[in-house]
Amino acid sequence: MTVNTAVPERDEILLDETGAKDLAAAALTLARRFHAGATLWCVAPSWEPHAHHVAVEFVHPVIVGKRALPAVALTGPDLVGQARLAVRPGDVIVAIAAAGDPQVRSIMRRAPAWGATTLWLGNGPRPPAGAADHVLWVDEDDPLTPATGRFVLRYHLLWELTHVCFEHPGLLTPDAGGDCDGEVCVTCSDEGRLAEVIGPAGEFGGTLVRTATGEEQVDTTLVGPVAPGDLLLVHAGAAITRLDDEEATR
Amino acid sequence: MSSDTGFLYPFLEAEERDADRLLADLAESARAKAAESAALRRRTLAECAGLIETAAAELARRFAAGGRMYVFGNGGSATDAATLAALFARPPAAEGVRPLPAWSLAADEAVVTALGNDVGFDLIFSRQLIARARPGDIAVALSTSGNSADLTTALAEARRRGLYTIGFAGYDGGAFAAEGTVDACFVVRSQSVHRIQESQALLGHRLWAAVQRHLAARPNGGGPR
Repeated sequence: MTVNTAVPERDEILLDETGAKDLAAAALTLARRFHAGATLWCVAPSWEPHAHHVAVEFVHPVIVGKRALPAVALTGPDLVGQARLAVRPGDVIVAIAAAGDPQVRSIMRRAPAWGATTLWLGNGPRPPAGAADHVLWVDEDDPLTPATGRFVLRYHLLWELTHVCFEHPGLLTPDAGGDCDGEVCVTCSDEGRLAEVIGPAGEFGGTLVRTATGEEQVDTTLVGPVAPGDLLLVHAGAAITRLDDEEATR
Repeated sequence: MSSDTGFLYPFLEAEERDADRLLADLAESARAKAAESAALRRRTLAECAGLIETAAAELARRFAAGGRMYVFGNGGSATDAATLAALFARPPAAEGVRPLPAWSLAADEAVVTALGNDVGFDLIFSRQLIARARPGDIAVALSTSGNSADLTTALAEARRRGLYTIGFAGYDGGAFAAEGTVDACFVVRSQSVHRIQESQALLGHRLWAAVQRHLAARPNGGGPR
């Protein structure tokens, strides 16, 4: 491995125009969710200190007078299970991980069924389009990038921009526009909602599932036997499709 | 502007009600701050290049002789300390890169809360060094002010015990630069906690890279340990 140790001749481009737009959109979404009562859940399986750093940034702001916001790092084993238990509808999940991280991929796939908005920060090859609501990517394919301060800059800016959004109360309500991106928007669409199987629904038959709006009972006759954790698309009280891993990450 | 972030973003209009306008302003602010960070990072590296080499040579010598590294800080700096310890101890697998024994002293909730509760918060790191550290070891403190009592106490204790002491600070270096208990004091000359931390992370990465280079250049590859 060769690590460049020379002083660069010119300033690095730490944030290009596209990256800045992505960050701005993520900050506005995050401010709107916080305004509506969200908690921010932070996961970083390979670099856990980043999850803690994001959480402390929001909980205990460095600028006196900024409001404390609910943010919590999830660390240790079984992050999918931890997130499933922690997340409430309307919450936000921020993951700091490479695109291939299996736990983060699973969390991102399931988040719509939990009613959560997702942010994904990482570097190297990008996640597939639509893998998260907001992708904040460092286009530098170096395994050491997470330890160079580039991620720290991104989430510092996310915190700063989020607090700027709070100065614009008229833009924090859901009907203020600019925050609906089609099929993942719960308020705009009831077609093919994502559901995660909890288990059999009891004596009346059917299956108990979790969707963005809570728990409900659905008929799974069309998709055949299901197991807890399976992801389904439901419409009008029935599961119409089962999502396998490949479909869900496309 | 109605609020106390006005000084951060003086060109944002409180009156606007157009999300697209706000998003454009946010993106512009983000780019300006990223450019500010990049300039500070380059300036800091240029100022600290000699000190990085000096410290890395001493760290390589100590690691080769069996020395161990203890890293500590408070809040966000505690997490940056943990990232630095992880970089030393669990670097991405690559040829010529060797894991080195390094720990974050904020990692153990039992030890930190026991010390904080029983003997006082200012002693949470120094007491751990008293218990664990040996004369050939290394102590690294990360701070933005350079003034936190738990860190200055730990650095003084480390110095007394023959550890090589490294301090990362911001502003004018604070007590880290003034008290004479820090062998290598890296000062990021900025008034912003966030910008300071972004440069400190890069300094830590460069220090790690230089240590790896020094170890690889040793006749026996840095061993035995």
